Amino acid sequence: MQQKNIIEIEHLSKSFGKTQAVSDISFCVRQGELFAFLGVNGAGKSTTISIICGQLEKDCGKVIIDSNDIEKGTDAIKLDLGIVFQNSVLDSALTVYDNLQSRAALYGITGKAFEQRLQELAKMLSFDDILDRTLGKLSGGQRRRIDIARALLHNPKILILDEPTTGLDPQTRKILWNVISDLRTKNNMTVFLTTHYMEEAADADYVVILDSGKISAKGTPLELKNAYTADYITIYGISKEQAESLGRPFEEIRDAYRISVDNTALATELIIKHPEIFTDYEITKGKMDDVFLAVTGKKLIGGEA
Amino acid sequence: MKTFLLLTKRNTKLFFKDKGMFFTSLITPIILLVLYATFLFNVYYDSFLQAIPPEIQIMDSNLKGIVGGQLVSSLLAVCCVTVAFCSNMLMVQDKVTGARKDLTVTPVKNSTMALSYYVSSVISTLIICLIAAVAGFIYLANVGWFLSADDVLCILLDVVLLVLFGTALSSVINYFLSSQGQISAVGSIISAGYGFICGAYMPISQFSEGLQKVLSFLPGTYATSLLRNHAMRGAFAELNKLGFPEEVINNMKSTVDCNIEFFGKIVSTNAMYAILAVSVIVLIAAYILINMFVKIKNK
Repeated sequence: MQQKNIIEIEHLSKSFGKTQAVSDISFCVRQGELFAFLGVNGAGKSTTISIICGQLEKDCGKVIIDSNDIEKGTDAIKLDLGIVFQNSVLDSALTVYDNLQSRAALYGITGKAFEQRLQELAKMLSFDDILDRTLGKLSGGQRRRIDIARALLHNPKILILDEPTTGLDPQTRKILWNVISDLRTKNNMTVFLTTHYMEEAADADYVVILDSGKISAKGTPLELKNAYTADYITIYGISKEQAESLGRPFEEIRDAYRISVDNTALATELIIKHPEIFTDYEITKGKMDDVFLAVTGKKLIGGEA
Repeated sequence: MKTFLLLTKRNTKLFFKDKGMFFTSLITPIILLVLYATFLFNVYYDSFLQAIPPEIQIMDSNLKGIVGGQLVSSLLAVCCVTVAFCSNMLMVQDKVTGARKDLTVTPVKNSTMALSYYVSSVISTLIICLIAAVAGFIYLANVGWFLSADDVLCILLDVVLLVLFGTALSSVINYFLSSQGQISAVGSIISAGYGFICGAYMPISQFSEGLQKVLSFLPGTYATSLLRNHAMRGAFAELNKLGFPEEVINNMKSTVDCNIEFFGKIVSTNAMYAILAVSVIVLIAAYILINMFVKIKNK
């Protein structure tokens, strides 16, 4: 069954003086999906997120979160949203416990309800051994886990992750993504992600690419790859002459040749035509990096601010 | 209510954990202590000594009690305002660090947040100023104790009132700040300037007439005067008992700002309390209105 739209944005625009930060963008996010919002710095991602969170006022357009129009008040919307900011915004001088206690209180979660939720989150994100430690003295990975715990304190329907894994080591990134994936499966939580890591965006259910405040492309990763990148056939155990005989652009890699084809249909055609060459091969789609480059003409570099 | 209490607890803890903010708030009282320790104490001691007619015998502790009362009242007068400003800088610091964003993405009301900043600042400032008051009392007990129980209570009341005033004033001003540079600028101006304009470094009576008139419009002037009156009342009463002429005592009182004039009329202590109380109410009302109607970008 198709899930309902939990975020609906129609013709949203926002400018700061003469700078048009967001220009007439429209998109929807379905409940429970992993939605990736891509763009270089200054593309308008943070402005859009700030409007969704009620931190910024829009110039025009419509923003509906879980059937609540942002113009009719943000209190209900704020209960639906959990946000992991690009940089940790918790209090470095306080302990993990104090931080989470003060933030939980802002949602009315106090006393036993807080202790219970804290236990659940500490177990889920494995931070029960650092509750008494000062936040400023934690490693980047530990801090990020606490940021995520803070965003999840009130069991939000939508988790907004603004470049959540930037600067983290691969292992910590993996742990965080496992937790997020678990939450999506168990709680049908919607994840709204901005990231510089294209392999994270490749796992998304739907991708919107923003460039200079406008939507340059949107679709599922497969749709985008099909529309904006070529397919690749990697053939093992063949000679250079055999690769040349296919009449397609190719590159030599360590133990194989990678042939570029416009689409999967053309790949199939080649295989049928040259069965003697295709004894050991694999077909892969283009990468999200290629999509981003093709759409915006810019390269999104992972980890760079 | 629990939300408000926990937010207030967070703000108070952050002030005491932030050593930079905490020690900055103590700069003015420390400057004052250094001034008194190096030369102001002797200057005032000698000038009071010269004012005493030779036929009157006066105990050294009596004179020291007067100068000590001046020191303690000055110290408390600046402490209550500068500490309030620094502790209330947390509301600006939250904008600088981005913590404010994290607070405003929640359904918590702006009024709850504003009140929690105010109350936590009052608590932090009161803790420091009451400790300073106790230290002042210990100092006076050593150099010359002439305070009655009423005086002690009045001094404590003055401190509470001045803390409420300092915090309300800082809330209104700090609301409009949003950067580290602005925090430093305002912190420096208040730390360096307030000691002068409230008459803590030098009595207002020593300033030019024009400046005295200007300062008579500032509520802080009356707060310092209240503290002076209560910290020095006992020592002046002792002089009276020793047979000091009323006129000389009155002159001494005027010299140390116990008597403040507003367009030629001496302002009574009751009027001073009223001025301070009304100022607190007006400033708190302004703070509430600003929070309701003025929108400041959360950095």
